[in-house]
Parts: sequence; structure tokens; C-alpha cells
Amino acid sequence: MSGRSLALRQPWTRTGLTAWAAIAASVAAVALLVAPGRGPNLAGAFLLACVPVGAAVMCWLDSGEGVVQAGLTLVISLAATAIVSAVMIWLTAWQPRALFAFAAVGVVSGTARLVRGGRPCCALHQ
Amino acid sequence: MRRSLALQLGLPGVLLAGIAAWAFGVSRIQRDAIGPYGVLASANAWFVLGLALLLVGMLAELSRSRPRSWLLGAYLIGLIVAIHTTVPLLYGGTPEYAWVYKHVGVAQEFGLYHRVTDSSNIYQEWPALFTAVASISSLGSAGPLSFAAWGPVAFELADALLLLGIFRLLTADRRLPYLAVLLYEGLIAWVGQDYLSPQAFGYLLWLGIMAIVVRWLLAPTTEHARWRFVNRVRGFLLAQRPAPPEASTAMRWVALALVAVIYFAIVAAHQLTPYLALLGIAALVLLGVLWRGWLTLVILAVIAFGFLAPRYGLISSQFGGIFSGGDVFENASGSQGIMHKAAEARTGEVVHLLAALMWLGAAAAIALRWRSLGRVAIPALLAFSPFVVLGVQSYGGEAIYRVFLFSSPWCALLIAELIAELRGALRPLVSAVACTVALAAGLQGLYGPTAVYAFTPAELTASGWLYAHAAPGSLLVFAADDFPGLEVADYRAYDLQVMPADPQSGPSWLDEANVSQVEQWIASLGHPSAYVVFSKSMANYASYFGYPAGYGQLAKAVSGNPAWRVVYRNPDVVIYQVTTG
Repeated sequence: MSGRSLALRQPWTRTGLTAWAAIAASVAAVALLVAPGRGPNLAGAFLLACVPVGAAVMCWLDSGEGVVQAGLTLVISLAATAIVSAVMIWLTAWQPRALFAFAAVGVVSGTARLVRGGRPCCALHQ
Repeated sequence: MRRSLALQLGLPGVLLAGIAAWAFGVSRIQRDAIGPYGVLASANAWFVLGLALLLVGMLAELSRSRPRSWLLGAYLIGLIVAIHTTVPLLYGGTPEYAWVYKHVGVAQEFGLYHRVTDSSNIYQEWPALFTAVASISSLGSAGPLSFAAWGPVAFELADALLLLGIFRLLTADRRLPYLAVLLYEGLIAWVGQDYLSPQAFGYLLWLGIMAIVVRWLLAPTTEHARWRFVNRVRGFLLAQRPAPPEASTAMRWVALALVAVIYFAIVAAHQLTPYLALLGIAALVLLGVLWRGWLTLVILAVIAFGFLAPRYGLISSQFGGIFSGGDVFENASGSQGIMHKAAEARTGEVVHLLAALMWLGAAAAIALRWRSLGRVAIPALLAFSPFVVLGVQSYGGEAIYRVFLFSSPWCALLIAELIAELRGALRPLVSAVACTVALAAGLQGLYGPTAVYAFTPAELTASGWLYAHAAPGSLLVFAADDFPGLEVADYRAYDLQVMPADPQSGPSWLDEANVSQVEQWIASLGHPSAYVVFSKSMANYASYFGYPAGYGQLAKAVSGNPAWRVVYRNPDVVIYQVTTG
């Protein structure tokens, strides 16, 4: 069985679901941010800050627990948002729209994870 | 069998009924009727019934032989939402606590000026949370005031998610993590560290670090020390320690890198949290259970002190340096200057009792396992290691609250494990008593001062009017230290003063009942005129704490005084302009 088919036939693993979450959250965040209206924009901003980067990382790491997977997705995303935002302030290069790159990271990593398939990063006995 | 079927079918309905009763109850609470004993004392039967149904339903599900995770999760979410959205719903979505508005102002300032404008401002020097809020605010085209009120519920939901995961990794029992998180939510409800703030953000990230540590960085075998004595102590402390989750070496390095990144975000966000996190890690290193423990500790210490070094002067001037004093009892005494008036004293006693019960319960859980300490060694160390902070810092009187916060998850787990080992009818009975006591006391602590710390939409509107109409450079005077202020990006352009008549806010020598003395003090500030604010929350504050003692007399005396011109008035606020020239 090729890696590709394995991945596509195992989309419901924790890491597979996280990869789907990375892609879906990234697309949804961008869609909400470009949509008219303050409500959708704010929802999109929170989604962008809370999911794509963490999911992009966690889709390669299996924590063994769904809630840990979700929790670390959130924490890593928030940490990345905080660090990138602080760096923009320290460098006096304030461009919040640069956070759109998080969506690109989410889509690329999630897609790569699904295409590459089966085994998560750094598995035991690798 | 019939009972089991009834529970299986009925408990989802109890959840819905609980949420409905709570929501209806909230809609019937009169904001103006909330007195000095808070929301619980002023609430109607529907509100109490709603919370009771949510608690009883969850406990009933926990008592089933095969509890449903989805339903336990739904109950937890329901309870957290009910607990932490009640006040924002009652107060029309205005953020609670005057100091939240300072945080909003700093985020607004970053959003407007795009740089650090004042290197002597401690918030700007630890900017990570504020810059993140400014980013979200900018992308979302909405000011932080539009979402700040929902900070507590968001942080509590996120904390509960992480804690549930950590507890699942630490225990084999599937129901125990839910019981522990339920207990935790009651225990910490009062501590009020979950509003939009760097510490709430740092705490959440710290839980993320602990999840990574527990999942990937616990060593399968205890590290062998050079000294035989250390090995003996570790052998005793780790007797019957359960095997940690497996992980490859490559995965452990990835986990260590993630810990370092998340830790940097904590370090850049808050002054105290990195050291509380470091204490927890150090405790695990000393126990010899952390993979590459000393390396981890060194990496984190380098990040923490590397960030602190260029900012140490600021910490030194505001908190007396890292070591502000080694008097543990003084550092543990909490906020200085609290006057302990009737209602405040009763609520304070309730939460002090709750804290004592929590630590006693955790200590009992450890003592009862003295033959197999390894089963509780990790949560036990994490529960009591935060106390070390009290040996070096008071953190402006707040250190004890952080100690409680960082200790409480592990205490909750230890107590829940003790309860889970009870047999027969004793287990559900003790679960019910423990959770009810924790929730009732925690909620009294949380809701007790609501009339003081929550602001009405009219008060927020008045604050907005003040900043819109007072020219930059104006003198703004609060008759008591309890009003939404500093929430605008240009907050530093105003001279904001609180009358020096409250020992909780610093030197207290002014007699507010003496109008001429107040006028002289205002004139001494060197402005041609001043905007002086009186509000409903200020009146509640003065009544609750007993200070400023002359607030009521001053408010009454100036209302007919021609030198005090009313420039703004709404049902909850009066703003005067006083000319001093």
C-alpha cells in the first residue's frame, strides 16, 4: 500500500483529523476575514489565531488523546500568534495581515500530512 | 436495570433543563438588586436550580458504571459557560474588573502606535498578550472592548480542555479526569485570574507545557543520581510509580523544542508565570522523572533570565527585584490594605476556608499513599512546589493567589483520586459533598463582589464620553478606585488620579468628606480644571470595603455646589468639571 493511499484511507486518525482541521480552519478563517461585517471578521481573526499553526504542527504529532491534541493545537497557535505579534512590535514592523501566513502554513502542512500518509512524525521504533 | 435506563435516557434531558433553568434565571435577575453578598444571595430559584441540575446531572453520570464521555464533556462545558457568562450577561457584555480596562488600553495603544512607546511601562515590556490581542483586534476590525468581557469563559474552557487531557494522561480511570476538572472549576472559581490578562494567558500556555511534559517528556526510568542518598529518597518517593506514556527519542526532542517555544511566549507575556512554571519543572527534575531534565531546566532558565536581564531595572523598581523579601507569612498575606468590612470579610472567610480544605485534602491524599508515593508523586510535587515563590516574592500581594492557582489543578486531581478509591455508596456521596462545597464556596468568592467589580453599560458609556470630550492633558479624578479607565489608546495623554483616601490604593490622608480639602488637593495637582467622576460602582466599592470613608458625603456635598459643574450625567455616573484656577 502506498503512503498516499494509506493516508487517504485513514483520514479519521487523530493526526488525520488534525490535518483536516488545519485545512478547514485556515480556509474558514480567510473566508471569514475577507467577508463583509465585523462579526465574521472577528470570528475569522480568532480562528486564525487559535487553530491553523497549532494544527499544522499537531497533525504530525500524535498525543494519544483527542483532548490533548485539541488543547495543544490551541496552545501552540496562541503562542505563535503572541510571539509573531510581539516580534512585529519589537521590530516596529506592525503588519497584522502577516498572520494570514498562518493559514498558508495550515493548508500546506495539513495537505502534506494527508498526502504523505499514515505514520505520524517521530513514531516509536522509527 | 430500570434505574440505569432512566439515567441513560434522562441525564441528557437534565443537562438541557439545567441550561434552560440557568438561562431563565439569569434573565430574571435584577442587576440593581445585587447586594454586597453578590449574585448568589440575590439570585432567584431558577438560577440556583439551573446550576444544581448541571452539578447533580454530571455527578449522576459520573456514578454510572459506564459514563458517557460526550455527556460528561457537555456537562462540563455547560457548567463553565453558566459560571463564567452570568456576570457578562447581567452587565450587558461590559468587562468586569477595573484593571481589565488598563489591559485593553495597552492593546489599543499597540494597535495605534505599532511600537513600544514607554519602556518604563511594565505592560509594554512584557507585551505578548497585548500584541496578540492587538493583532486579533486589527484583523477582526473590532476593539478589544467588544470581546474582553468573554475572556473568563474562553480561558476557563481552554484550561479545562488542557486539564482534562493532562489528567487523562496521568490516570487510567476514564471518569476520574472529569471529577477532577469539576472539582477544579469550583476550587478556582473565586481566584479571578482568568480575565483578559497576561497571567490568564500565561497560565493556559503553562498547562500546554505540562501536557507536553506529561505526554512526551517523562522518563520511563528514574534518572540515576551520583549520590546514594538522593537515589534512596527518589526510590521512596517513586515507589509503584506507573509507567509514563511511551515516546521515541526524536519525539522527545520535538517536544522539548515545543516547550521552549511556548515558554518563550509565557516569558514575553508575564513577569511571574515563567518562574512558577520553572518551579514545577525544577521539582520534576529533582525527582529525576524528566527526560533530559537538567538540559530542559537550563534552556528554560536561559530564556527566562535572558528576557529579564535587560528589564530587571523595571522589576526592581516596581517589585523590589526578584527577591522582594523572604518573609513567607507576609508574602502569603494577600493584597495589603483590605479593610475586611462585613460582606467582604464573610466572602473572604469562605474562600480562605476553601483554600485550606483544598490543601488539607491534597495533603491527606498524599499521606494516605505513603507506601506507594510514586502513584501521586508528580501531582503532589506540582501541587506544593509553587509555595517556594512565597519565600522570595509577594508580587504586590498577589503571589499567594498565583500559588493557589498553580497548585489547584494537582490538588483537584489528588482529591479526586482519593474519592475514586472509595467503595460503595460512599464514593458518590463524598463526590457530591466535595463538589457542592467547592462550587458553592468558589461561586460565593467569584460572585460576592460583583456589585463592586462589574460595570454597567452606562458606566462604560460615561468613560467613553470622558475620553471623547476631555482634551488630552486633562486631569481626570476618580473619587474611588473603581471605574472603567485607561481603556483608550491615548490613555497616557491624560493625568488620571484617584483621590488619596483609600489605603488599598496607596497613601490615604485625604478626608473626602471635607470638600475644601478635596478642592485644595485637586488644585495642588497643577491643572486649571479637573473632571471628577462619581459612579454607582464607586459607591458600591466604598460601601463594600469601607473606603474611601467620606465618599458618600462628598458625592452629596458637591451635587449642589456651584463650583462643581455637571458636564455629564447618566443613571449610574455623574461627571463634574471643577475649575481650580
